[in-house]
This record gives sequence, C-alpha cells and structure tokens, in this order.
Amino acid sequence: MTSSKRRLITFVIIGWVLLLISDHVGPLRLYQGSYVATYTLAVASIILLTGYSGQLSLGHGALMAVGAYAGALAIDKATLNPILGLIVATFVAGLFGLILGFAVARLSGPYLAGTTLALAVALPTLANEFEILGGQQGLPFDVGSSPERFGEEFSQYKWYFWICALAALIMIWWIANLVSGKYGRTYRALRDNPIAAELSGINVGRQKVIAFAISSGAAGLSGGLLVILLGGVSPSAFPLGVSFFLLTGAIITGLYNLKGVILGGLILVALPEIADSLASRIGESEGLTNSLPDLLVSALLILAVVFTPNGPGQILKRHHSK
Amino acid sequence: MKRLSIVSAVVATGAMLLSMLPAQAAQTTGVTSSEIKLGISSPTSGSAGLVYGKVPGAMKAYFDYINANGGVYGRKIKLVAKNDKYTVKGAAASTFDLVYQDNVFALTGALGTATHQAGYKAASLAAENVPDLFVNSGWSGFNDKTAYPTTFMVLPTYAMEAKVMAKVIKDNFPGQATFIVAQNDEFGDDARAGFGAAGHKFTREFFYPQGGMDLATGKTILSAISAVPGKPVVVLFGTGDATVAMLKAAEELKLTKKFTWLAGSVGADANTLLALKVEPETIDGVLTASFMPDAKDSTDTYVKQFMAINTKYNKGVVFDNYVLAAMNSAMLTVQSLRAAGKNLTRDGVIKAIETKGSSFASAGLVPLGYSSTSRIGYNGYWVSQINAKGEGKPFGGKLVIYTTDSGTGAVSVSNFVRPTMPKNGIPTNS
Amino acid sequence: MNQFITAVLTSLSSGAIYALMSISLVLVWRSTRVINFTQAGQAVLTTYIGYGVIQKTGSYWIALAAAVIGGALIGAVIDRFFMRPIFKRITSGPIALIAPVVATLGLLGIIQASIGIIWGISYQSIEAPVSTDGFDINGQVIAFNRFNLFVLATVTVTMLLLTILFQRTNIGLALRASAYSPEIAKLSGIKVDAVRTFGWAIAGAASGLAGMLYIPGYYLYPNAMDLLLVFGFIAAVIGGLDSLIGAVVGAMILGFGLSFSRTYISTEILFPTAFILLIVVLLIKPDGIFSAKKKRGA
Repeated sequence: MTSSKRRLITFVIIGWVLLLISDHVGPLRLYQGSYVATYTLAVASIILLTGYSGQLSLGHGALMAVGAYAGALAIDKATLNPILGLIVATFVAGLFGLILGFAVARLSGPYLAGTTLALAVALPTLANEFEILGGQQGLPFDVGSSPERFGEEFSQYKWYFWICALAALIMIWWIANLVSGKYGRTYRALRDNPIAAELSGINVGRQKVIAFAISSGAAGLSGGLLVILLGGVSPSAFPLGVSFFLLTGAIITGLYNLKGVILGGLILVALPEIADSLASRIGESEGLTNSLPDLLVSALLILAVVFTPNGPGQILKRHHSK
Repeated sequence: MKRLSIVSAVVATGAMLLSMLPAQAAQTTGVTSSEIKLGISSPTSGSAGLVYGKVPGAMKAYFDYINANGGVYGRKIKLVAKNDKYTVKGAAASTFDLVYQDNVFALTGALGTATHQAGYKAASLAAENVPDLFVNSGWSGFNDKTAYPTTFMVLPTYAMEAKVMAKVIKDNFPGQATFIVAQNDEFGDDARAGFGAAGHKFTREFFYPQGGMDLATGKTILSAISAVPGKPVVVLFGTGDATVAMLKAAEELKLTKKFTWLAGSVGADANTLLALKVEPETIDGVLTASFMPDAKDSTDTYVKQFMAINTKYNKGVVFDNYVLAAMNSAMLTVQSLRAAGKNLTRDGVIKAIETKGSSFASAGLVPLGYSSTSRIGYNGYWVSQINAKGEGKPFGGKLVIYTTDSGTGAVSVSNFVRPTMPKNGIPTNS
Repeated sequence: MNQFITAVLTSLSSGAIYALMSISLVLVWRSTRVINFTQAGQAVLTTYIGYGVIQKTGSYWIALAAAVIGGALIGAVIDRFFMRPIFKRITSGPIALIAPVVATLGLLGIIQASIGIIWGISYQSIEAPVSTDGFDINGQVIAFNRFNLFVLATVTVTMLLLTILFQRTNIGLALRASAYSPEIAKLSGIKVDAVRTFGWAIAGAASGLAGMLYIPGYYLYPNAMDLLLVFGFIAAVIGGLDSLIGAVVGAMILGFGLSFSRTYISTEILFPTAFILLIVVLLIKPDGIFSAKKKRGA
C-alpha cells in the first residue's frame, strides 16, 4: 500500500472515530473539541509556512481574519450555504496570501516578520472602516442548526464539532499529502539550503509564494471555523495575541513535521484550562488568576524551544537511536 | 446517568410529601435546596477593568448581605465571576464556561455590548433558556425578544441618553457649536442614532476605535476645534479612560474652560476621573446624565444603605457610582428570584420580571419598563453637574427627570416617584 | 495652522519615544542577529522597578537612574544566562533564525505574567517629573510641554552618546566587528561573547529609558509596552535593522506619518497607516531605508 493510501485510510479512520465520540460527550467537550480542531488546522498552516518553506510570519491572525470575513460575507450577504461559505473563506484567504506572498517575496527573515506583524495589527482595524464589513460589531457567521435529517437530538455544539473536525481533517490531509511528495522535498530543500535548491532548478521564489498561498488558505479556513464558535466575526476577534498563540502551538508541536500537529491544538486548548483551574485552586489573588495561564504557556514555549527545537519528535528519535 | 435519575425521582417524591419545605429544584440547573448559582462575565483587568472592575465584587457584597439575612427563601446566592478581559473571545469562553462548566442558574450583570453579543451566541443562551438578567450595556438591540429571548436590560439605552442630552443642549446652549467624540462601534452608533432621532446635528463628529483614545488623539481633536468662537459644547460619549484622555489633553492645552463638557454616563464617574488624576478644576462644571442618585449623596436612603453594605461586605473598595449601580442590579436580581417563587425555575424568573419587574424597588430615579413586550429597564435620565469635590448636583438647581424611548418618541418630563426602599435594603417581595 | 503645528509637535514627541525602542531593537539585532521581543518585557519590568523606587523615594529622577541601570543589568543577564545557552544548543538549520525569536517571545510572556503575579494587573500611573502644561507662545498654548522637550532632549543625547560609542571607542569597534563577522573578530582577540552581552546591556538601558519616558502619558500595567514594541519594531524595519541612524529616522517617519494621518485623514486608522508606511518602504527597499549595500547573510 502506498503511503498516500495509508494516510487517506488513517485520516478516514480518525474522522470516523471522532464522529462516533461526538455522540457520547456533552456540550463542553464538543465545544472544546471544536477549538482543538480549529487550532490544529491553524497550527498546521503555520508549520507549512514557517517549518517547511522557512518564512516566519507573525500575522496569521490577519490571514484568519481575511478568511473569516470572506466567509461571513458569503453567508450573510450572498446567502450562500455555510459549507460554501467556508470554501469561499479558504479561497479568498488563499488568494490574499498569493498576493501578499508576491509582495513580500523579496523580504528576508526579520523584515518579513515585521511586515506580517504590522499586517496583523492593521487588518482588523481596517475592517471597522467599511460599512459592508459590519464595522465594530462585525458580521454574524451563522452555520445554522444541524440539517433535519440528523434528527432532533443533534445538538448545536455537535454540529459545530462536526463542521470543525471534518474541515480540519480534510484540509490537513491535503496539506500532509502535499508535503510528503515532491513538494515536500522541494520545501525542505529550499528551507535548508536555498542556494543549492536554486542551482538544482527549483524556482525558490515561486515555491515560497505558493507555500504562502496554501498556508493562507488553510489559515482562512481556520479563521472561518473560529468565528463559528464565536458566533460572528468582528475586528476584535483576531488580536495580535492570536498570531503569537498559534506560533507557540506550532513550536511546541514541532515546526518541521505535521505528524504531531494535533498535539499543538490540544495543548493550546488544554493548557489555559489547566492553568485556570490551578490558579483558582491556589489563590484569590487576581493577578495570579489572570497571569498564571500565560506564564505556563510561555514557560512551555521556552522549554520547547530550548530542549526540542525540532519538535518532540526529536526526543523520540534520540530514544530510538540509543 | 441512570443512578442520578433514580436519586432525583426519590428526592422529588420526598419533596412532594413534605410540601411545607421549599421544592426540590434538583432538576433545575444551578439551584439546590441551599444554593442558587449565578454567573457574571465582565472585565476586571485592562482599561475596561480599570473602570468596571468593581462590579462583580459589589454584587457579591450585596448577595453576601442577603445571604446573612436569610437568603432567598433560605437559599444562599453564590456568584461565580469570570474575567472576560473585555474581548469577544474572552466573553464567549467565559459565558460558555459559566453555563456548561459551572452550571449556573442564570447570568446577571453581563458587561459590554460586542462582548455579550458573542457570549450570548457562543453559549446558546436562547436555546438553553438561561435567564440573562440586567445586562450592563445600553445597546438597544438587546431589547429584542426574538434575538435575545432571555435577556433583560437595566441601563437606559445610549439612544435614550443621547436624546436627553440633545434636549439639554437645545434648552441651555442654543447657538453654540457642538461636537461629539465617541467610539466607532455600536456604542457610538447608538448615540448617533439618538442624537439623530432628536433632530440634533453636530458641527463635527470624531470617532475613535475602542481603546484608541489617548493624549495624542485628544490633542489632535482639540487643536481642530479650538478656534471655534464662543463656548462650544463637546459631548464625550466614551468609557472612563477615554473621557480622562480628552480632559487631560484639554488640561495640557489649557482648553478646559473653552468648552462646555457633556460627558456620557458610561465614562463620567467623578471619583474615577479624580482617581485617574484629572484636576478638580477640570471636572468642576462638567455635565453628565444619570438615572441614579449621586453616589456621594448620603442623604439618599438607598445610597446610605448600600454604603453601609459596602463598608461591611466589600472592605477596601471605595464606594462610587459603579458600586452603587452594581448593588442596585443585585437588589433587582434578588427581587426577581423572590418573585419567581419558592419553586425556582428559569421560565419562572423570566415570567416574574415580565409581570412584576416594573414595580421592583430600586435606587433608580426613573421608572423601570419591564413588561411582556419590553425588556427595557430604566428609560430616562436626569442631568447633573459635577463640582470640584466630585459631587453631582442637579443641573439648574432642581431635579428634573426626563423619560423617553430609543426611537423617535419625544423626551418628556416625568413625575415618577420611586418605590420606598424595603427595610434595611432587604427585599421581602414575592 | 494650529492643526498643522500640533501635528508636527505630536509627531516629534511620539517619534522620539518610538526611537528609543527601535534603537534598542537595532542594538540587539546588530550584535546578535535576534529580533528581541523581550525588549517590551525588559522595558516594562524596569519601569515597574522605577515605579517601586518612586513609591519609596518619591523622586522620579532616582527612579529614572534606577531604571536605566536596572535595564542594563537585566539586559546583560538575559543575554548571558538565557540567549547564550540557546545559541549553543541551536547551531544549524533554519530553526537558527526562528528559535531565538520565539524564545524571546516566550520570555516576554514569562516576564509579563510574573509582573502580573507580583505587582498585580491593575493600572498604575507615574507622574511626569516636569510640567505637562503646554508652552505659552504669544498667548497661544501649543501642544508641546516641558516633558515633551525633556523626552526629545534625552533621545538626542542618547543618540549622540551611542554614535560616539560606536564610532569613536574601542568597544564600539569591537561591537561592530563582532556583529559583522564573529569568527574574524574572535581571531583578532575580541571576546565576542562579552561584547555581545555588553550590546544587550546598552539595549536594555535604552529600553529602560523608553519605559520611564513613555509611561507618564499613559498607564503602567504588564502589557503597557506592547504597543510601543510593535511601533518600535516597525520603525526599526523601516529604517533598516542594521542601522542606528535608520532606527531614529524610521521612528520619526512613523511618528510623522501617524500624527498627520490622524490629523488630516481620520482618528481611526492608526494601524493601517503604519502598515502602509512599512509596506511602501519595503517594496522600494526590501531591507529598509538605510540598508547596507552588500547583503549580509540573513
């Protein structure tokens, strides 16, 4: 069996298992699960862009916002089906990423980082300026309730979970396919040694732009999923912190490999919750309850960078070779 | 799952036999024989927390007072407070957690417009029929039974406040240029709608993004309007930190007496302004609108009572207009719970406010507008003038209460006399 | 005319503060090739120290000195005990660029969270040491006060001192050499590690200064310097990360751009303006205005 067939079967099985589980858990776990799926997808897009094609972006929040707004407009103003709305989100964000990728193609590391950072803070406030984008209040992102044929028992949160989990699975599977084949070798080549890559005939500039576009598309989709859970998109849905938050998840997971990506999503959801309950158990100090989650996430980030800069997989590899 | 329902069945049977005791509401989320769990999602950190951070603590203080005096039919009220950091994400997560993790009976005092809109949707409050009591927002959109079937407002809408302000400007400052400085979101939009409905047109309007009003922006705006002749009226329709930024910018440019300042109630608590280092001479003469007695007016029965509760149950917190409003909402909450009867259900609370809410006792000097068709709380304002000591006295010397609606209805003077405070501030309604 | 003058004056005041932050970032970049996001944490931490000193002594000036010295110490400690070990572990691969940046991000989070736990998250304020009333010029009060003048003067002096340091002193030469080519510098006897730590120390001092000059107009809380970090970074990128002059010029361009857009276009588009300024500059000169002619390896 080829590895791509194996991958497909793996993903299908994962999907099936998730849908089965969704029948037996309450709204809290479904809601959290939806967030895990969304964050996992976002982290995957960062891994593609930064880990595989070597472009450090600090503005993934902006790309997610583009997708979210595009999808919201499609559903709200063009009255499209929510699933179509998500597809629109993906494509519009991908297109935006294509253009942006061209614009920043000449920029090296820190300059690219600076530009994406500025984009991350600028884009949300821009949404405020245009009536059609709903101003500060934003636009609703309504995926409606579950289709009738699923029956009355199908809760709203289960519907959210199905949408998020399936969308994330499909997109991540597609990206995984992409980086395992020819494209994957290409990206690794241009990341590790762009000069050698150029010499062996790879059009470095073009590959980087393509990676940017695909990554943006995935980010846009995750943005659309996120605003489903928020009920709507607004300028305040994607503050700068989101970009850093997701980057943290990508580092912790391991920037160079998609294999552990769901770990990133899980940690991004679980860690703040654990920190919250820890904080409320420890003390009444307001400073503590508010700051402890961030402290733990940041500490974990530093530990990850210092001890497993290539991701947790590195530890496993070392173990095996012993 | 099965074991739980057997236990519930036994308990329910037992309750029916012993009908003298309060009904076992074990089936109603958040209610037990000894406790009622309520939840609040509001900012207690950041620039919003700077201004509104006192709200949960003040409500809890009032609830503690009631708990020490018999509770609600013997049940103690427990308030679970979550800091949503005034962000959409935070409010969505906080509200969701309150409903599905903490399993509260009802929400009370949810703060913020965009934030609560998100929280309401994310937690499916409509589908779960969770009562959403006395939200701290003046956005008139919350008075929509289709979109927000479980929500009850308490603050008058921003549109109402704008209309009253428009009348004050028309009556007292005819012929002067007028300017407005407001947030560029539904907070500011609601105000705009109100001024528009009252037929008032500003000489120029300035909008800033939420959180984007600082000294530099203030100076920019002031330099644009400082050459206007006469004594223009400047309406500051923003949060406390924005009002502070504008006033301090005026201080630095020595323009404080050039304008007549009309500060929206949201950002005009004199105590807060002084605490954030605005000069007393600057706030002397600032006009604002309020629907409550001034927090410094210790001759008012409600204020005196709440002050006493604050001293005993909210140690270390300075009593100001925010504490007053929060305790007032807490008092309304207790009356709502009582009015729903000993067999406390979510439906029951909602119906109780619809039918009996408009006659609840409260510190407000304007009437409450709850009915089967209206979820509006207070529907009017009186205009106060702050002096250098931070006290708000009726503008013009005599207290005049204006009531209106959020639409095109006229602003009229009201003869409303508020209900007498229940003894010791402990409601005994049913 | 009044609006124009106000715009120019506010541009100068804000540009000066952005310059202090962008100088710090460029200093670190030049000596270690790291985008130091922790700078915001260092700045706010030193400002809290300054705040504590004011509580105890009542003097802004002592606090200012404490912040500058404290900033230098903290900067040195971070490089010696945090950045250096990280560099030793990550020797190759593209992670070499990303890991230190991400590490500084993590450290920023830790510092801010720790401040929140120790000092609490409520807003504090620091009073300006001199009058904030606008100067009275022929009866017209302008949007410039003694404090703004003080800030401008301080930044100018700092720039002069740094220029003298880099161009006229041995250690300045060592700093430049270590950044440009560490191997060769080592061969000629320069203790590259120690020199680098010194670079971080100066950067820390500069950002400590930035904090104490910035906060009096705003409030002090753990995330108070985040916005300044973003603007400082954008200013540094506009000017070219390798150039100290670029840092100041970039900061002024940003200050003027933001002020004028706020005055003449709208009070609502602060960030979009910054982004447009940045992208326009980078489209023309991808390495910033004062980028070196020869491209050094990233």
